[in-house]
Amino acid sequence: MNDYIIETHNLTKKYGSQTSVSHLNIHVKKGRIYGLLGRNGAGKTTTMRMLLGLTAPTSGEVTIFGKPFQGNEKNILPHIGCLIESPGFYPNLTGTENLKIFAELRGLRSPKYIKNALELVNLPYRDKKLFSQYSLGMKQRLAIALAVMHNPELLILDEPINGLDPIGIAEVRDFIRELCDTSGKTILISSHILSEISLLADDVGIIDHGKLLEEESLKELEAKNAKFIHFCVSDAQKAAKIIAATFHSKDFRLTDANNLYLYDMTLPVERINRSFVESGIEIQEVHLCEDTLEDYFKKITGGEGIA
Amino acid sequence: MLDLIRCEFWKLKRKMFVQLVLAASFLFPIPLTAIIYYLNTAQNKYATKAAAFDALWQSVIGFGMLLLLPCILGIVAALLFFMERDNDTFKNLRTIPITSSQMVIAKCIVLLLLSIAFCISSTVASILCGFVFFGVTDILFKVLFSAIYGLLIAISALPLILLIIFFSRSYIFSIMLCVFYSVFNLLSTFSMIALPKWLVLTLPTPSIMLWGTQQMSSRTAINDTEDLQNFIQMGLIPSTPQLIITLGVIGVVSLLLAVYLYKKRSE
Repeated sequence: MNDYIIETHNLTKKYGSQTSVSHLNIHVKKGRIYGLLGRNGAGKTTTMRMLLGLTAPTSGEVTIFGKPFQGNEKNILPHIGCLIESPGFYPNLTGTENLKIFAELRGLRSPKYIKNALELVNLPYRDKKLFSQYSLGMKQRLAIALAVMHNPELLILDEPINGLDPIGIAEVRDFIRELCDTSGKTILISSHILSEISLLADDVGIIDHGKLLEEESLKELEAKNAKFIHFCVSDAQKAAKIIAATFHSKDFRLTDANNLYLYDMTLPVERINRSFVESGIEIQEVHLCEDTLEDYFKKITGGEGIA
Repeated sequence: MLDLIRCEFWKLKRKMFVQLVLAASFLFPIPLTAIIYYLNTAQNKYATKAAAFDALWQSVIGFGMLLLLPCILGIVAALLFFMERDNDTFKNLRTIPITSSQMVIAKCIVLLLLSIAFCISSTVASILCGFVFFGVTDILFKVLFSAIYGLLIAISALPLILLIIFFSRSYIFSIMLCVFYSVFNLLSTFSMIALPKWLVLTLPTPSIMLWGTQQMSSRTAINDTEDLQNFIQMGLIPSTPQLIITLGVIGVVSLLLAVYLYKKRSE
């Protein structure tokens, strides 16, 4: 038996002729934060809805806690906390009253569950403010409180920082990290914001047009980022010949008459510089460059869209 | 299930709905008291004060319970059944997990309880008016009978609830459906003699009304004996088992379809 808390096997969802999620195989390890990263409409929410049984898959299987989800919903769902899309609550009730309804239905009789959950997200207990009067950030916090109220082993959070201000984002980020580190929770989090995933996730799945393009640990992804040296010189053609002849490397690229990108990081930069100067090449700029994660994601998803 | 029903009532907090439903139960008793008081004093229509009260109570049953109540139940049903859709709370409930059938049954039980409360409240309002202007008799029977009426009318309103879920449109559309349903009930009740027997015995509201008339005949001071005999001769009055079967079938089929539709709508 593996230590995956969530595992999907060729999970597919079709709406008519449109395929929203296609043969998705994700693996969420116990006690880690898995970031599902993708543009808007990539299939993140549909995937999460299928994981929670809110949408039936067209084909494929979901395994949670080592058991097939289908047929075991009643045993599995009480151990999951979730936030899917926008927060859904009754507008005529206060935050505490809203949580009380769901606590009652979960069999949580003591008010301490509600109190603790509200404290965690910095919302007041027994406040008189109705949900309809809440700001977007407060609504989001209440939704997070609902997700964690019953102390679940697994959290599935769909874009949890939506609507939060920068301080709120940092608080929620720290709170999620702490849940994973100190309480050993497994967390699946989706976002279209790359920086959030890179700051929070241990493992990353990149989804685009319903397909999982990559699934690796964040460290592995970061290791994949290309490093190179950018030379801005008076004669790039001549500089290229020197690198090929003197340093026996062809791992470079010329973009125009003045710019050369050297990818072979084993070569001694100071000796290359000296050779260029001795050959009469004027060096205007030399930079050590590194592709950001964003560049990498743009490259593999084929375009813009991830902030 | 008890938790679920309690939560359904909590969800109605600040909606003033329970209070409005109970207030609506006073809508007919008050003007009907005035009319019957006038008929009794000016025209001496009723032999005794008890007969005048029974006339009031029967009118309240006809207008308040059989005509107005299904309409009110339909509107409350729209509120209850659209609540999860409008507030996007389906996902919170389904991930607990609460199934669609549990949700539908809990909401129907809330409607049933409101229906019984409305009928008892209507009878209590009639009794209060009766104490002032007429002579009240057989209070316990009347209260119990109105509770049974509340139960039967709630079951008879299930097809209306099914229609509301089926169309799942705006509140205005649902109110229009409710009005249409009430008018349909009224027309079918007025034209019972002209309708085929099987249809009268199948339509829930005429069946309840005819069954109720026969049950009440021995306990009330006024009797429309001639009309009742006509209905008996025509075989239009259902027996208690017949009524239970008719309403049972209508209720079960409506409930199953409502669960199916509610599940589909929630996805």
